[in-house]
Amino acid sequence: MSPIGSVNPLNSAPLGRVDAPLPKISLPGGPHTAAPADGFGQMLDGLVATVEAKQGDANAITRQVLLGDNDQLHQSVIAMQEASVAFNMMVEVRNKLVESYQELMRMQV
Amino acid sequence: MNLIAGIDVSAGALAAQKTRLDIVAQNIANAQTTRTPNGGPYQRQIVSFESELVRHSGSGPSLQSVKVAAISADRTPGQQVYNPQHPDAGPDGLVMMPNVNLSYEMVDLITASRAYEANLTIVKNARLMAMKALEIGK
Repeated sequence: MSPIGSVNPLNSAPLGRVDAPLPKISLPGGPHTAAPADGFGQMLDGLVATVEAKQGDANAITRQVLLGDNDQLHQSVIAMQEASVAFNMMVEVRNKLVESYQELMRMQV
Repeated sequence: MNLIAGIDVSAGALAAQKTRLDIVAQNIANAQTTRTPNGGPYQRQIVSFESELVRHSGSGPSLQSVKVAAISADRTPGQQVYNPQHPDAGPDGLVMMPNVNLSYEMVDLITASRAYEANLTIVKNARLMAMKALEIGK
């Protein structure tokens, strides 16, 4: 990186007129007309489905224990804790998403 | 998705210790049983454990859990008590009592209970670690 002091203003490109027409800027790959259909949204859907499945598992095991079909009480509690951790993780991901969205909304352009 | 690492190992250990507790309960309950379907007095049952490889997906070491290998009978002879009025007394008036020793059973009970507690502490800490990981950057 060259030091700032070495820039010679006489050697720099001549400044254009202020009202000169703006050069055309072309985006690579053409204009984006639609947002990508899959990707993060799909992943988030998968996460929500997994959390729901875990809660369903915990529900099923707890039901078995309460009905007396199963005497493994710890399995029920462990399944509930796993569902709770998975739910907390989903909430964290959602919080991060909303946070970045709000950060983008506050950005000055 | 397995968010709480190593929980399958502890779950297996909890199930094994619970079985041990059940067997201790059975031994104490049958401490005076002189008649069984097999004939003769009740024989004390002993639980033995064996390691079991946990099916592991993803990276990390393959872990070994525990399961009940066998529930076998203690072959030591029981006490003979002179009690001619007892329906199971022999012609000499001696009754074969079960070979259950209450002191041994209480020691087994406390060991199983403490082992269960230790495994529960592992579960608790594993969950705490997962929750702390979710708090990174807060």
